Amino acid sequence: MKRRSFLKHTAALTAGTLSAPYVLPSGRLFAKTMNRKVNHVVFCLFAGGVRNIDAIHQDLGNLMPSMLTGVKSTADGITTLPTSPHPTILEQEGTLFPEFRYKDGPTGHYNGHTVALTGVYTDTGLNLRANPEFPTIFEYYLKHNSPSVTSKNAWWVSNALGPYPALNYSRYPGYGAMYGANHIAPTYLLNPAIADMLGQPKPFQFHEEEKVAKVRNFLNKNFGKDALLDNVGIVNTEDDARQIRAFIQDMYTKGQSGLLNNPLGLPSNQGNNDIYNILFAEEIIKEFQPELLVVNMTDVDACHQNFTNYMVNLQKADYAVAHLWNLIQSTPGMADDTVLIMVPEHGRNLDSNTVRDNFGRFGVDHTGDPTSREIFSLILGPQGVINKNLKVGTANNPVGETIDLVPTVANLLGFDLDIPTGLLNGRVLNEIYV
Amino acid sequence: MKKILIISFALLPLLFACGDPQENVYLYEVNTVDVEQSGVDKNNPKADLEFISLVYADLFGGTVSQSDIDVMIIAFTALGDKQLITDIIIRNMLNSPQANVPSDAQMRNDIEKFIEDTYLKFYIREPNAYEKWELQGMIEGDSELIPEMIYYAFLTSDEYRYF
Repeated sequence: MKRRSFLKHTAALTAGTLSAPYVLPSGRLFAKTMNRKVNHVVFCLFAGGVRNIDAIHQDLGNLMPSMLTGVKSTADGITTLPTSPHPTILEQEGTLFPEFRYKDGPTGHYNGHTVALTGVYTDTGLNLRANPEFPTIFEYYLKHNSPSVTSKNAWWVSNALGPYPALNYSRYPGYGAMYGANHIAPTYLLNPAIADMLGQPKPFQFHEEEKVAKVRNFLNKNFGKDALLDNVGIVNTEDDARQIRAFIQDMYTKGQSGLLNNPLGLPSNQGNNDIYNILFAEEIIKEFQPELLVVNMTDVDACHQNFTNYMVNLQKADYAVAHLWNLIQSTPGMADDTVLIMVPEHGRNLDSNTVRDNFGRFGVDHTGDPTSREIFSLILGPQGVINKNLKVGTANNPVGETIDLVPTVANLLGFDLDIPTGLLNGRVLNEIYV
Repeated sequence: MKKILIISFALLPLLFACGDPQENVYLYEVNTVDVEQSGVDKNNPKADLEFISLVYADLFGGTVSQSDIDVMIIAFTALGDKQLITDIIIRNMLNSPQANVPSDAQMRNDIEKFIEDTYLKFYIREPNAYEKWELQGMIEGDSELIPEMIYYAFLTSDEYRYF
Protein backbone atom coordinates (compact mmCIF):
# COMPACT_ATOMS: atom_id res chain seq x y z
CA MET A 1 0.00 0.00 0.00
CA LYS A 2 1.32 3.43 -0.85
CA ARG A 3 2.31 5.33 2.25
CA ARG A 4 0.16 8.30 1.41
CA SER A 5 -2.84 6.03 0.89
CA PHE A 6 -2.01 4.27 4.12
CA LEU A 7 -1.91 7.56 6.01
CA LYS A 8 -5.20 8.69 4.56
CA HIS A 9 -6.69 5.32 5.39
CA THR A 10 -5.36 5.43 8.95
CA ALA A 11 -6.55 8.98 9.49
CA ALA A 12 -9.98 8.15 8.12
CA LEU A 13 -10.16 5.03 10.22
CA THR A 14 -9.15 6.91 13.34
CA ALA A 15 -11.56 9.74 12.65
CA GLY A 16 -14.34 7.28 11.93
CA THR A 17 -13.61 5.37 15.06
CA LEU A 18 -13.59 8.49 17.16
CA SER A 19 -16.80 9.81 15.74
CA ALA A 20 -18.69 6.55 15.73
CA PRO A 21 -17.49 4.14 18.38
CA TYR A 22 -19.27 0.83 18.38
CA VAL A 23 -20.47 -1.02 21.43
CA LEU A 24 -19.73 -4.71 21.69
CA PRO A 25 -22.31 -7.16 23.04
CA SER A 26 -20.29 -7.19 26.24
CA GLY A 27 -21.07 -3.50 26.60
CA ARG A 28 -17.43 -2.43 26.11
CA LEU A 29 -15.95 -0.34 23.38
CA PHE A 30 -13.18 -1.51 21.04
CA ALA A 31 -12.67 -5.25 21.36
CA LYS A 32 -8.88 -5.40 21.46
CA THR A 33 -8.39 -2.67 24.03
CA MET A 34 -10.19 -4.81 26.61
CA ASN A 35 -6.85 -6.15 27.75
CA ARG A 36 -5.33 -2.79 28.41
CA LYS A 37 -4.14 -2.16 31.95
CA VAL A 38 -3.62 1.55 31.32
CA ASN A 39 -3.97 3.85 28.33
CA HIS A 40 -0.57 5.55 28.58
CA VAL A 41 2.97 4.39 29.12
CA VAL A 42 5.94 6.69 29.66
CA PHE A 43 9.24 4.87 29.45
CA CYS A 44 12.20 6.76 30.85
CA LEU A 45 15.63 5.45 30.01
CA PHE A 46 17.46 6.57 33.14
CA ALA A 47 20.55 6.10 31.07
CA GLY A 48 24.20 7.03 30.80
CA GLY A 49 25.31 4.06 32.90
CA VAL A 50 24.11 3.99 36.51
CA ARG A 51 25.90 1.68 38.92
CA ASN A 52 23.65 -0.17 41.33
CA ILE A 53 26.25 0.30 44.09
CA ASP A 54 25.70 4.06 43.82
CA ALA A 55 21.96 4.01 43.14
CA ILE A 56 20.27 1.14 44.99
CA HIS A 57 22.95 0.21 47.52
CA GLN A 58 23.61 3.86 48.35
CA ASP A 59 27.31 3.42 49.15
CA LEU A 60 27.76 7.20 49.12
CA GLY A 61 24.40 7.94 50.70
CA ASN A 62 21.12 8.29 48.87
CA LEU A 63 21.83 10.14 45.63
CA MET A 64 18.25 9.58 44.43
CA PRO A 65 16.12 10.88 47.31
CA SER A 66 13.07 11.59 45.11
CA MET A 67 12.93 7.97 43.95
CA LEU A 68 14.31 5.92 46.81
CA THR A 69 14.04 5.85 50.58
CA GLY A 70 17.30 6.29 52.46
CA VAL A 71 19.43 8.93 54.11
CA LYS A 72 20.27 11.67 51.65
CA SER A 73 23.90 11.81 50.57
CA THR A 74 26.08 14.58 51.93
CA ALA A 75 29.16 13.74 49.87
CA ASP A 76 31.53 16.63 49.12
CA GLY A 77 30.93 18.42 45.87
CA ILE A 78 27.32 17.46 45.25
CA THR A 79 24.76 20.15 44.62
CA THR A 80 21.88 20.84 46.92
CA LEU A 81 18.75 20.61 44.83
CA PRO A 82 15.29 21.73 45.91
CA THR A 83 13.18 19.10 47.63
CA SER A 84 11.44 16.56 45.44
CA PRO A 85 8.83 18.02 43.11
CA HIS A 86 6.56 15.09 43.97
CA PRO A 87 4.99 14.79 47.44
CA THR A 88 5.89 11.13 48.00
CA ILE A 89 9.00 9.08 47.34
CA LEU A 90 8.43 7.37 44.00
CA GLU A 91 9.43 3.95 45.31
CA GLN A 92 6.30 4.04 47.46
CA GLU A 93 4.09 4.48 44.39
CA GLY A 94 5.21 1.44 42.48
CA THR A 95 7.19 -1.76 42.15
CA LEU A 96 10.96 -1.68 42.44
CA PHE A 97 13.15 -4.35 40.89
CA PRO A 98 16.38 -3.51 42.74
CA GLU A 99 18.38 -6.25 41.03
CA PHE A 100 17.37 -6.01 37.41
CA ARG A 101 19.83 -7.29 34.83
CA TYR A 102 21.20 -6.32 31.45
CA LYS A 103 22.33 -9.85 30.84
CA ASP A 104 23.87 -10.01 27.44
CA GLY A 105 25.75 -8.07 24.78
CA PRO A 106 28.11 -5.11 24.93
CA THR A 107 27.49 -2.56 27.71
CA GLY A 108 27.45 0.37 25.30
CA HIS A 109 24.95 3.21 25.55
CA TYR A 110 23.46 2.67 22.12
CA ASN A 111 23.38 -1.10 22.60
CA GLY A 112 21.54 -0.60 25.87
CA HIS A 113 19.03 1.77 24.31
CA THR A 114 18.46 -0.63 21.43
CA VAL A 115 17.84 -3.57 23.75
CA ALA A 116 15.42 -1.56 25.89
CA LEU A 117 13.43 -0.46 22.83
CA THR A 118 13.46 -3.71 20.85
CA GLY A 119 13.44 -6.31 23.62
CA VAL A 120 16.28 -8.16 21.88
CA TYR A 121 19.91 -8.27 23.04
CA THR A 122 22.49 -6.92 20.62
CA ASP A 123 25.91 -8.19 19.73
CA THR A 124 29.12 -6.46 18.72
CA GLY A 125 27.91 -6.27 15.12
CA LEU A 126 25.31 -3.60 15.89
CA ASN A 127 25.14 -1.23 12.92
CA LEU A 128 25.24 2.37 14.12
CA ARG A 129 24.36 3.73 10.70
CA ALA A 130 21.12 1.86 10.26
CA ASN A 131 17.82 1.49 12.04
CA PRO A 132 17.67 -1.44 14.47
CA GLU A 133 17.41 -4.95 13.13
CA PHE A 134 14.34 -5.90 15.17
CA PRO A 135 11.05 -4.01 15.57
CA THR A 136 10.89 -1.33 18.22
CA ILE A 137 8.18 -1.01 20.82
CA PHE A 138 6.80 1.90 18.76
CA GLU A 139 6.24 -0.31 15.73
CA TYR A 140 4.61 -3.07 17.77
CA TYR A 141 2.30 -0.46 19.24
CA LEU A 142 1.42 1.33 16.00
CA LYS A 143 1.02 -1.88 14.02
CA HIS A 144 -0.86 -4.02 16.53
CA ASN A 145 -2.80 -1.57 18.64
CA SER A 146 -6.51 -1.53 17.95
CA PRO A 147 -8.08 0.79 17.05
CA SER A 148 -5.36 2.14 14.77
CA VAL A 149 -3.75 5.33 15.90
CA THR A 150 -1.31 7.71 14.23
CA SER A 151 2.31 8.45 15.11
CA LYS A 152 1.21 11.47 17.11
CA ASN A 153 0.53 8.95 19.88
CA ALA A 154 4.07 7.57 19.92
CA TRP A 155 7.14 9.70 20.69
CA TRP A 156 10.84 9.07 21.03
CA VAL A 157 12.40 12.04 22.81
CA SER A 158 16.17 11.66 22.63
CA ASN A 159 18.73 13.90 24.28
CA ALA A 160 21.36 13.09 21.67
CA LEU A 161 21.82 12.76 17.92
CA GLY A 162 24.33 10.37 16.36
CA PRO A 163 22.63 6.98 16.01
CA TYR A 164 19.84 7.69 18.52
CA PRO A 165 17.28 9.23 16.11
CA ALA A 166 17.22 5.88 14.26
CA LEU A 167 15.57 4.16 17.22
CA ASN A 168 12.08 5.31 16.21
CA TYR A 169 11.65 2.38 13.82
CA SER A 170 13.48 -0.71 12.62
CA ARG A 171 14.39 -2.20 9.28
CA TYR A 172 12.53 -5.41 10.08
CA PRO A 173 10.35 -6.66 7.19
CA GLY A 174 6.70 -5.88 7.74
CA TYR A 175 7.43 -3.09 10.23
CA GLY A 176 9.58 -0.01 9.58
CA ALA A 177 8.88 3.68 9.03
CA MET A 178 5.19 3.19 8.36
CA TYR A 179 4.83 2.27 12.05
CA GLY A 180 7.56 4.57 13.36
CA ALA A 181 7.30 7.00 16.24
CA ASN A 182 7.75 10.72 16.02
CA HIS A 183 11.35 11.30 16.95
CA ILE A 184 12.48 14.62 18.36
CA ALA A 185 15.79 15.67 19.86
CA PRO A 186 14.46 18.86 21.44
CA THR A 187 17.67 20.15 22.96
CA TYR A 188 19.01 20.33 19.39
CA LEU A 189 15.93 21.25 17.40
CA LEU A 190 14.89 23.95 19.83
CA ASN A 191 18.29 25.43 20.62
CA PRO A 192 18.73 29.18 20.05
CA ALA A 193 20.81 28.92 16.84
CA ILE A 194 18.14 26.82 15.16
CA ALA A 195 15.35 28.90 16.65
CA ASP A 196 16.88 31.96 14.96
CA MET A 197 16.74 30.18 11.62
CA LEU A 198 13.47 28.28 11.96
CA GLY A 199 11.51 30.34 14.44
CA GLN A 200 9.90 32.74 11.96
CA PRO A 201 7.87 30.64 9.51
CA LYS A 202 5.48 32.12 6.99
CA PRO A 203 2.19 32.07 8.88
CA PHE A 204 -0.43 30.67 6.53
CA GLN A 205 -3.97 30.57 7.87
CA PHE A 206 -5.96 27.38 7.58
CA HIS A 207 -7.99 28.63 4.60
CA GLU A 208 -4.75 29.72 2.94
CA GLU A 209 -3.25 26.28 3.48
CA GLU A 210 -6.29 24.84 1.75
CA LYS A 211 -5.65 27.05 -1.27
CA VAL A 212 -2.01 25.93 -1.30
CA ALA A 213 -3.15 22.31 -1.07
CA LYS A 214 -5.44 22.81 -4.06
CA VAL A 215 -2.57 24.11 -6.20
CA ARG A 216 -0.22 21.41 -4.90
CA ASN A 217 -2.72 18.66 -5.63
CA PHE A 218 -3.04 19.93 -9.17
CA LEU A 219 0.75 19.93 -9.59
CA ASN A 220 1.10 16.46 -8.08
CA LYS A 221 -1.66 15.03 -10.21
CA ASN A 222 0.18 16.17 -13.34
CA PHE A 223 3.46 14.73 -12.13
CA GLY A 224 2.02 11.35 -11.32
CA LYS A 225 4.76 10.05 -8.98
CA ASP A 226 4.41 9.91 -5.21
CA ALA A 227 7.50 11.56 -3.72
CA LEU A 228 6.73 10.03 -0.36
CA LEU A 229 7.60 6.60 -1.66
CA ASP A 230 11.20 7.69 -1.97
CA ASN A 231 11.24 9.66 1.24
CA VAL A 232 12.86 7.86 4.12
CA GLY A 233 11.34 8.31 7.55
CA ILE A 234 7.99 8.62 9.18
CA VAL A 235 5.27 10.84 7.76
CA ASN A 236 2.49 12.33 9.85
CA THR A 237 -1.02 12.91 8.61
CA GLU A 238 -1.68 16.49 7.53
CA ASP A 239 -3.68 17.24 10.68
CA ASP A 240 -1.03 15.77 12.96
CA ALA A 241 1.74 17.58 11.09
CA ARG A 242 -0.13 20.85 11.53
CA GLN A 243 -0.39 20.30 15.28
CA ILE A 244 3.26 19.26 15.62
CA ARG A 245 4.40 22.26 13.58
CA ALA A 246 2.38 24.57 15.83
CA PHE A 247 3.86 22.86 18.88
CA ILE A 248 7.43 23.39 17.65
CA GLN A 249 6.63 27.02 16.89
CA ASP A 250 5.20 27.41 20.38
CA MET A 251 8.41 26.00 21.85
CA TYR A 252 10.46 28.50 19.84
CA THR A 253 8.27 31.30 21.09
CA LYS A 254 8.52 30.13 24.70
CA GLY A 255 12.29 29.82 24.40
CA GLN A 256 12.67 33.25 22.85
CA SER A 257 10.49 34.85 25.51
CA GLY A 258 12.49 33.28 28.37
CA LEU A 259 9.74 30.97 29.56
CA LEU A 260 12.11 28.00 29.58
CA ASN A 261 14.84 29.70 31.58
CA ASN A 262 14.02 27.86 34.80
CA PRO A 263 13.73 24.27 33.62
CA LEU A 264 11.60 22.09 35.89
CA GLY A 265 11.65 24.89 38.45
CA LEU A 266 15.44 24.85 38.80
CA PRO A 267 17.76 27.84 38.43
CA SER A 268 19.03 28.07 34.85
CA ASN A 269 22.59 27.15 35.90
CA GLN A 270 21.27 23.82 37.24
CA GLY A 271 19.70 22.79 33.94
CA ASN A 272 21.72 20.17 32.13
CA ASN A 273 20.84 18.32 28.93
CA ASP A 274 18.81 15.72 30.84
CA ILE A 275 16.75 18.34 32.66
CA TYR A 276 15.89 20.08 29.39
CA ASN A 277 15.08 16.81 27.67
CA ILE A 278 12.60 15.94 30.42
CA LEU A 279 11.22 19.47 30.24
CA PHE A 280 10.42 19.06 26.54
CA ALA A 281 9.03 15.56 27.12
CA GLU A 282 6.67 17.17 29.60
CA GLU A 283 5.65 19.75 27.00
CA ILE A 284 4.87 16.92 24.57
CA ILE A 285 2.81 15.20 27.25
CA LYS A 286 0.85 18.40 27.91
CA GLU A 287 0.20 18.98 24.22
CA PHE A 288 -0.43 15.47 22.88
CA GLN A 289 -1.11 13.16 25.86
CA PRO A 290 0.66 10.39 23.91
CA GLU A 291 -0.15 6.77 24.62
CA LEU A 292 3.50 5.80 24.37
CA LEU A 293 6.41 8.12 25.04
CA VAL A 294 10.03 7.15 25.51
CA VAL A 295 12.50 9.71 26.85
CA ASN A 296 16.12 9.30 27.85
CA MET A 297 18.75 10.92 30.02
CA THR A 298 22.50 10.27 29.76
CA ASP A 299 24.34 13.02 31.62
CA VAL A 300 25.50 10.63 34.36
CA ASP A 301 27.99 9.35 31.80
CA ALA A 302 30.24 12.18 33.00
CA CYS A 303 31.41 9.38 35.31
CA HIS A 304 34.17 8.41 32.88
CA GLN A 305 36.04 11.61 33.69
CA ASN A 306 34.40 13.09 36.76
CA PHE A 307 32.81 10.95 39.42
CA THR A 308 31.52 13.94 41.37
CA ASN A 309 29.67 15.24 38.32
CA TYR A 310 28.22 11.74 37.95
CA MET A 311 26.77 12.05 41.45
CA VAL A 312 25.47 15.55 40.73
CA ASN A 313 23.82 14.41 37.50
CA LEU A 314 22.36 11.35 39.21
CA GLN A 315 20.66 13.69 41.66
CA LYS A 316 19.35 15.80 38.77
CA ALA A 317 18.04 12.75 36.93
CA ASP A 318 16.29 11.69 40.13
CA TYR A 319 14.75 15.15 40.49
CA ALA A 320 13.71 15.17 36.81
CA VAL A 321 11.78 11.88 36.91
CA ALA A 322 9.97 12.98 40.07
CA HIS A 323 8.97 16.16 38.23
CA LEU A 324 7.89 14.08 35.24
CA TRP A 325 5.71 11.80 37.37
CA ASN A 326 4.21 14.79 39.11
CA LEU A 327 3.40 16.37 35.74
CA ILE A 328 1.79 13.16 34.52
CA GLN A 329 -0.37 13.03 37.62
CA SER A 330 -1.56 16.58 37.01
CA THR A 331 -2.26 16.12 33.28
CA PRO A 332 -5.92 15.51 32.45
CA GLY A 333 -6.26 12.30 30.47
CA MET A 334 -3.03 10.84 31.82
CA ALA A 335 -3.39 11.15 35.58
CA ASP A 336 -4.22 7.78 37.18
CA ASP A 337 -4.09 6.16 33.73
CA THR A 338 -0.34 6.08 33.08
CA VAL A 339 2.49 3.73 33.92
CA LEU A 340 5.97 5.23 34.22
CA ILE A 341 8.90 2.85 33.75
CA MET A 342 12.42 3.86 34.72
CA VAL A 343 15.52 1.82 33.93
CA PRO A 344 19.20 2.50 33.25
CA GLU A 345 20.42 1.02 29.95
CA HIS A 346 23.33 -0.65 31.78
CA GLY A 347 25.46 -0.20 34.88
CA ARG A 348 29.14 0.58 35.39
CA ASN A 349 32.22 -1.40 36.31
CA LEU A 350 33.10 -2.33 39.86
CA ASP A 351 36.62 -0.98 39.49
CA SER A 352 37.50 2.64 38.83
CA ASN A 353 39.61 3.95 36.00
CA THR A 354 42.61 6.22 36.58
CA VAL A 355 40.96 9.61 35.94
CA ARG A 356 40.67 11.55 39.20
CA ASP A 357 38.37 14.55 39.67
CA ASN A 358 38.87 17.65 41.84
CA PHE A 359 37.49 15.84 44.88
CA GLY A 360 39.94 12.97 44.50
CA ARG A 361 37.35 10.53 43.20
CA PHE A 362 38.20 8.23 40.32
CA GLY A 363 36.07 7.80 37.24
CA VAL A 364 34.30 4.57 36.35
CA ASP A 365 33.81 3.05 32.87
CA HIS A 366 31.40 0.37 31.66
CA THR A 367 33.21 -2.41 29.88
CA GLY A 368 31.02 -5.42 30.50
CA ASP A 369 32.14 -6.72 33.90
CA PRO A 370 29.39 -8.38 36.02
CA THR A 371 28.71 -5.14 37.94
CA SER A 372 28.06 -3.23 34.72
CA ARG A 373 25.15 -5.61 34.06
CA GLU A 374 23.50 -4.87 37.41
CA ILE A 375 20.76 -2.28 37.13
CA PHE A 376 17.35 -1.51 38.64
CA SER A 377 13.87 -0.80 37.34
CA LEU A 378 11.13 1.16 39.02
CA ILE A 379 7.60 0.92 37.63
CA LEU A 380 4.92 3.31 38.83
CA GLY A 381 1.23 3.25 38.04
CA PRO A 382 -2.33 3.76 39.15
CA GLN A 383 -3.82 2.47 42.36
CA GLY A 384 -5.43 -0.90 41.82
CA VAL A 385 -3.29 -1.68 38.77
CA ILE A 386 0.35 -1.50 39.87
CA ASN A 387 1.64 -2.85 43.18
CA LYS A 388 2.75 -0.10 45.52
CA ASN A 389 5.80 -0.04 47.73
CA LEU A 390 6.86 -3.50 46.58
CA LYS A 391 10.41 -4.76 46.04
CA VAL A 392 10.86 -7.76 43.79
CA GLY A 393 14.16 -9.63 43.73
CA THR A 394 17.39 -9.58 45.72
CA ALA A 395 21.09 -9.73 44.93
CA ASN A 396 20.97 -13.47 45.45
CA ASN A 397 17.76 -13.81 43.49
CA PRO A 398 17.70 -11.14 40.79
CA VAL A 399 14.37 -10.73 39.03
CA GLY A 400 13.73 -9.09 35.69
CA GLU A 401 15.93 -8.10 32.79
CA THR A 402 15.99 -5.45 30.12
CA ILE A 403 14.38 -7.60 27.44
CA ASP A 404 11.30 -7.97 29.64
CA LEU A 405 10.33 -4.33 29.27
CA VAL A 406 9.03 -4.43 25.68
CA PRO A 407 6.66 -7.34 26.45
CA THR A 408 5.59 -5.55 29.61
CA VAL A 409 4.79 -2.31 27.78
CA ALA A 410 2.89 -4.32 25.15
CA ASN A 411 0.93 -6.04 27.90
CA LEU A 412 0.15 -2.76 29.66
CA LEU A 413 -1.27 -1.34 26.41
CA GLY A 414 -3.03 -4.57 25.53
CA PHE A 415 -1.43 -5.70 22.27
CA ASP A 416 1.17 -8.21 23.49
CA LEU A 417 -0.78 -11.19 22.20
CA ASP A 418 -0.82 -9.71 18.70
CA ILE A 419 2.98 -9.68 18.41
CA PRO A 420 4.14 -12.59 16.23
CA THR A 421 5.75 -15.36 18.24
CA GLY A 422 9.49 -15.71 18.05
CA LEU A 423 10.28 -12.00 17.90
CA LEU A 424 10.61 -11.44 21.65
CA ASN A 425 12.44 -13.56 24.20
CA GLY A 426 11.51 -11.61 27.32
CA ARG A 427 8.45 -12.05 29.53
CA VAL A 428 5.79 -9.79 30.96
CA LEU A 429 6.77 -8.57 34.42
CA ASN A 430 3.55 -9.77 36.00
CA GLU A 431 4.93 -9.04 39.48
CA ILE A 432 3.97 -5.40 38.98
CA TYR A 433 0.25 -6.10 38.80
CA VAL A 434 -2.08 -5.99 41.75
CA MET B 1 49.96 21.02 -75.83
CA LYS B 2 51.54 18.71 -73.27
CA LYS B 3 52.92 21.77 -71.46
CA ILE B 4 49.48 23.39 -71.39
CA LEU B 5 47.95 20.27 -69.86
CA ILE B 6 50.62 20.09 -67.14
CA ILE B 7 50.01 23.75 -66.25
CA SER B 8 46.26 23.21 -66.21
CA PHE B 9 46.54 20.28 -63.75
CA ALA B 10 48.96 22.26 -61.64
CA LEU B 11 46.50 25.15 -61.42
CA LEU B 12 43.51 22.93 -60.72
CA PRO B 13 43.97 22.85 -56.92
CA LEU B 14 44.42 26.61 -56.93
CA LEU B 15 41.15 26.92 -58.76
CA PHE B 16 39.31 25.14 -55.92
CA ALA B 17 41.37 26.81 -53.24
CA CYS B 18 40.42 30.22 -54.50
CA GLY B 19 36.67 29.69 -53.96
CA ASP B 20 34.58 31.41 -51.24
CA PRO B 21 36.57 30.92 -48.00
CA GLN B 22 33.31 30.73 -45.97
CA GLU B 23 32.47 27.41 -47.60
CA ASN B 24 35.62 25.80 -46.23
CA VAL B 25 35.14 26.70 -42.56
CA TYR B 26 34.02 23.62 -40.67
CA LEU B 27 32.76 24.09 -37.10
CA TYR B 28 32.55 20.97 -34.97
CA GLU B 29 30.26 21.85 -32.03
CA VAL B 30 27.00 20.81 -30.42
CA ASN B 31 23.82 22.37 -31.68
CA THR B 32 22.08 24.71 -29.27
CA VAL B 33 19.22 22.84 -27.63
CA ASP B 34 16.81 23.53 -24.80
CA VAL B 35 17.79 21.74 -21.55
CA GLU B 36 14.28 21.46 -20.24
CA GLN B 37 13.20 18.14 -18.92
CA SER B 38 9.65 16.98 -18.97
CA GLY B 39 8.09 15.93 -15.68
CA VAL B 40 7.84 12.28 -16.69
CA ASP B 41 11.61 12.07 -17.16
CA LYS B 42 12.39 13.10 -13.60
CA ASN B 43 13.22 9.91 -11.78
CA ASN B 44 15.96 10.82 -9.34
CA PRO B 45 14.85 12.11 -5.95
CA LYS B 46 16.90 14.94 -4.49
CA ALA B 47 18.73 14.20 -1.25
CA ASP B 48 17.38 16.22 1.66
CA LEU B 49 20.18 18.73 1.93
CA GLU B 50 20.52 18.93 -1.83
CA PHE B 51 16.83 19.75 -1.86
CA ILE B 52 17.15 22.46 0.76
CA SER B 53 20.16 23.99 -0.99
CA LEU B 54 18.09 24.22 -4.16
CA VAL B 55 15.17 25.83 -2.34
CA TYR B 56 17.63 28.39 -1.02
CA ALA B 57 19.10 29.01 -4.46
CA ASP B 58 15.65 29.31 -6.06
CA LEU B 59 14.37 31.74 -3.46
CA PHE B 60 17.46 33.80 -2.75
CA GLY B 61 19.43 33.42 -5.95
CA GLY B 62 22.64 32.45 -4.20
CA THR B 63 24.43 29.61 -2.48
CA VAL B 64 23.53 28.67 1.04
CA SER B 65 26.37 29.26 3.53
CA GLN B 66 28.14 26.40 5.27
CA SER B 67 27.00 27.63 8.68
CA ASP B 68 23.38 27.59 7.55
CA ILE B 69 23.86 24.10 6.15
CA ASP B 70 25.28 22.96 9.49
CA VAL B 71 22.23 24.29 11.30
CA MET B 72 19.92 22.62 8.81
CA ILE B 73 21.72 19.29 9.17
CA ILE B 74 21.05 19.42 12.90
CA ALA B 75 17.42 20.37 12.34
CA PHE B 76 16.99 17.53 9.85
CA THR B 77 18.46 14.98 12.21
CA ALA B 78 16.59 16.24 15.24
CA LEU B 79 13.09 15.64 13.86
CA GLY B 80 11.87 12.28 12.61
CA ASP B 81 9.32 13.58 10.11
CA LYS B 82 11.57 14.84 7.31
CA GLN B 83 8.67 16.20 5.32
CA LEU B 84 7.61 18.30 8.29
CA ILE B 85 11.06 19.72 8.98
CA THR B 86 11.44 20.47 5.26
CA ASP B 87 8.14 22.30 5.37
CA ILE B 88 9.25 24.33 8.40
CA ILE B 89 12.49 25.29 6.65
CA ILE B 90 10.66 26.31 3.47
CA ARG B 91 8.17 28.43 5.39
CA ASN B 92 11.00 30.23 7.14
CA MET B 93 12.77 30.91 3.85
CA LEU B 94 9.55 32.15 2.30
CA ASN B 95 9.07 34.53 5.21
CA SER B 96 12.47 36.12 4.72
CA PRO B 97 12.40 39.67 3.32
CA GLN B 98 15.27 38.62 1.04
CA ALA B 99 13.23 35.92 -0.71
CA ASN B 100 12.67 36.71 -4.38
CA VAL B 101 8.91 36.39 -4.60
CA PRO B 102 6.98 38.56 -7.07
CA SER B 103 4.27 40.81 -5.70
CA ASP B 104 0.63 40.00 -6.24
CA ALA B 105 0.35 43.01 -8.60
CA GLN B 106 3.28 41.76 -10.68
CA MET B 107 1.71 38.34 -10.96
CA ARG B 108 -1.72 39.61 -11.93
CA ASN B 109 -0.27 42.10 -14.39
CA ASP B 110 0.89 39.20 -16.57
CA ILE B 111 -0.36 35.87 -15.22
CA GLU B 112 0.81 33.86 -18.21
CA LYS B 113 4.37 35.10 -17.83
CA PHE B 114 4.26 34.46 -14.08
CA ILE B 115 3.22 30.86 -14.70
CA GLU B 116 5.91 30.28 -17.31
CA ASP B 117 8.57 31.84 -15.08
CA THR B 118 7.46 29.79 -12.08
CA TYR B 119 7.57 26.50 -13.98
CA LEU B 120 10.99 27.34 -15.36
CA LYS B 121 12.27 28.43 -11.97
CA PHE B 122 11.16 25.40 -9.99
CA TYR B 123 10.63 22.62 -12.53
CA ILE B 124 13.21 23.70 -15.13
CA ARG B 125 10.63 23.29 -17.87
CA GLU B 126 7.83 25.19 -19.53
CA PRO B 127 4.26 24.40 -18.57
CA ASN B 128 2.19 22.59 -21.15
CA ALA B 129 -0.97 24.21 -22.46
CA TYR B 130 -3.21 22.41 -19.98
CA GLU B 131 -1.05 23.35 -16.96
CA LYS B 132 -0.97 26.95 -18.11
CA TRP B 133 -4.71 27.08 -18.64
CA GLU B 134 -5.60 25.39 -15.36
CA LEU B 135 -3.26 27.43 -13.15
CA GLN B 136 -4.28 30.63 -14.86
CA GLY B 137 -7.88 29.75 -14.06
CA MET B 138 -7.03 29.21 -10.41
CA ILE B 139 -5.25 32.55 -10.13
CA GLU B 140 -7.91 34.51 -11.98
CA GLY B 141 -10.69 32.83 -10.01
CA ASP B 142 -9.23 33.54 -6.58
CA SER B 143 -8.03 37.00 -5.68
CA GLU B 144 -6.62 35.67 -2.38
CA LEU B 145 -4.26 33.26 -4.10
CA ILE B 146 -0.99 35.16 -3.83
CA PRO B 147 2.45 34.35 -5.31
CA GLU B 148 3.83 33.17 -1.95
CA MET B 149 1.16 30.49 -1.79
CA ILE B 150 1.90 29.35 -5.33
CA TYR B 151 5.64 29.29 -4.62
CA TYR B 152 4.93 27.32 -1.45
CA ALA B 153 2.82 24.83 -3.43
CA PHE B 154 5.58 24.36 -6.03
CA LEU B 155 8.31 23.97 -3.40
CA THR B 156 6.31 21.32 -1.55
CA SER B 157 5.12 19.49 -4.64
CA ASP B 158 6.26 16.01 -5.68
CA GLU B 159 7.91 17.13 -8.93
CA TYR B 160 10.18 19.55 -7.07
CA ARG B 161 11.57 16.59 -5.07
CA TYR B 162 13.01 15.09 -8.27
CA PHE B 163 15.72 15.79 -10.81
